[in-house]
Amino acid sequence: MLEARLEQANLLKKVVDAIKDLVQDCNFDCNDSGIALQAMDNSHVALVSMMLKSESFSPFRCDRNIALGINLTSLTKVLRCAQNEDILTLKAEDAPDVVNLVFESAESDRLSEYDIKLMDIDQEHLGIPETEYAAVITMPSTEFQRICRDLMALSESVSIECTKEGVKFACQGDIGSGSVTLRSHQNVEKPDLNVEIDLTEPVSLTFSLKYLVNFCKASGLSSQVKLCLSNEVPLLVEYALSNNSYLRFYLAPKIGDEE
Amino acid sequence: MARTRSKLAAKDPVQEPTTSTKALPPSAVNPPKLFILPNDASPEARIVTLLNPVNATPNRYLFCPEQGFYEFTKIAAPRKAPRSWLIAPHQTLRDETSKTFPSVEHGTAENGKEADDLADGEQQEGAISISKGYITKSADLFVATPLDTLFLLLPALSPSKSTAKDTQKQLFLSLDDHLETLGATTPHLGQLLQSRKLRDRIEERMSDVCDMVNAGEEKMYRLSHPKLLIILLSKAERMSKNGFPASMEDRLIRPALEIPIMSIKREESDISTSEAGPTQSESQSSAQPPGTATPSTSDSQSTNTSVSTAATSLPPTATELPESKPTISAPEGVLHLLRLRTALAYLLSSYVPSLLHTPLRALLSSSSPINFSPLDAHLAHLTSLRAQATALRSLSDNISRKRGYNDDEEAVEARAEKKRKQDEDEKKKKNEPRGIKQLKKVDVSGMRKLSTFFGKAHVKK
Repeated sequence: MLEARLEQANLLKKVVDAIKDLVQDCNFDCNDSGIALQAMDNSHVALVSMMLKSESFSPFRCDRNIALGINLTSLTKVLRCAQNEDILTLKAEDAPDVVNLVFESAESDRLSEYDIKLMDIDQEHLGIPETEYAAVITMPSTEFQRICRDLMALSESVSIECTKEGVKFACQGDIGSGSVTLRSHQNVEKPDLNVEIDLTEPVSLTFSLKYLVNFCKASGLSSQVKLCLSNEVPLLVEYALSNNSYLRFYLAPKIGDEE
Repeated sequence: MARTRSKLAAKDPVQEPTTSTKALPPSAVNPPKLFILPNDASPEARIVTLLNPVNATPNRYLFCPEQGFYEFTKIAAPRKAPRSWLIAPHQTLRDETSKTFPSVEHGTAENGKEADDLADGEQQEGAISISKGYITKSADLFVATPLDTLFLLLPALSPSKSTAKDTQKQLFLSLDDHLETLGATTPHLGQLLQSRKLRDRIEERMSDVCDMVNAGEEKMYRLSHPKLLIILLSKAERMSKNGFPASMEDRLIRPALEIPIMSIKREESDISTSEAGPTQSESQSSAQPPGTATPSTSDSQSTNTSVSTAATSLPPTATELPESKPTISAPEGVLHLLRLRTALAYLLSSYVPSLLHTPLRALLSSSSPINFSPLDAHLAHLTSLRAQATALRSLSDNISRKRGYNDDEEAVEARAEKKRKQDEDEKKKKNEPRGIKQLKKVDVSGMRKLSTFFGKAHVKK
């Protein structure tokens, strides 16, 4: 059986909020190392991969591998019933029909309990290899969100050009064109605002802005976001969580669209 | 229960119900039942429980030492139109009931008077009589009809030792032995068999249906299937002599002889528009005696010629016309034979132990005094016609009959399944978060699926 106690319901709320607009139903694969999730969007051009390590929970108990097929809309509805500061406990039997969520309020003695019916979801799992990316950009997640939103006003897609000068987000639309360039930047007082560019070779790729904006819904989870690019390889957008947990998005690049 | 009379008398010449009161122990729980009993039954008549000859279940019969056995036929109101009886006593009748057993003449003469009296009585003491009345919930009427003693004997004459019977012929047994097996079936019958009259009657019926051997003083009996068959046939003959009641005719006789309607109507009208000849062929067809095989073939030739002379030959018409001829009805003998067979089947199923059915049927087909072969031939002819008609129909108007009955169910199922899926999809779409809906609009041209970048993971479960 599974029993996972999360100190702050907020974490799960934000994670689910971030992916619920990308996928509808997905399996939460629970094993002794934690809770993992991998799902693709309907068009199969984007992929979300979540890992909540067992260390993120206290305590975490999972005797055998359980796949919890959950409709994310339903999960969102239930999670709305939890305060951000509530202690959340996920429970499920070994061959579960439902997943049980308990919200405990630390301040008052309020205890609320919800069951969500599970679904059988057939999902293909992709094996994602550990890749050495040509360019790794770390920047404030809010900055990435702002760039995507701003450029969305002009165009559907953005080209990300990474050279030793910096990283340039550029787009071209019907009304004109725009670009945002970031350079490596160290802010001693506020390390959250650092921009780091780790480049082994120049990269230029084009991506769908709508998808990127969608990924940016995870901005609240982490102050920094890591963009990993290599030519002709999907972009990785990673939001690091505490205890080595993470939320990763992959997006296929647009190839041969502009030439 | 004696009160039932007032109601019955008004409808029918009715036997004194005192007999039934004696036989059925009156019980407060049991609602009164209405019986029409034979009016010549003796005062010793009793309602007894005997085994039903067909399935050996206990059944009620009326036994009169003079007249023999009567079975009860229940006449119930149709379930769709429920009725009840109001059973009320009547002054004049009450006087009458004090007499234990009025004669037949008295009873019938009383009938008219009763009807009159009923009207008077209604005014004079209607209130009293009705208040003393009883309303039965079920308007069931039990009519006693004579039953041949023979049928009750049959189970005893053909004991169910089927294994022994297969190998060797049944043994000849004395009357007493037969009566013993008979009496052992129900205690009531055992008692009744004490009566000399009944024994005589049984002996008489047994001699009709059994092979007999004289063994010294005693006569020995053994059931003879041919004799039984002859008796059954004569009974069936009597049943079917004047035809069946209309409802039975409709249910049992007519459908069996119904001739499938071919698509003649249209064909004939085709001819009439194209040629002047058909009146002749049609008159021929109506004048022709309803159809045995030979005249219809000859007729087909004649129609054929008439059509060909008109030079607008429609080949299918020519072949179909003769088939349409026997529409009118079956040949005379066939109708009678069918009635006879239906009657016989009824007798077998309702009075003869099932053990005897097979030998009797075999006997009927092999060496029966009545030859059913014309009927069989005609019925076979009809089945072939029917098969043709269905084949023809599925050919000619395949628009409406595109799907057979079996396919239909599947189609309905498939459609329901499709609809269910559609509904589900719609529901899913409705519940889709906004973000997902928007992503659907994204132009993904030039974006390869992620599965082209990342190999499929080995399934870890």
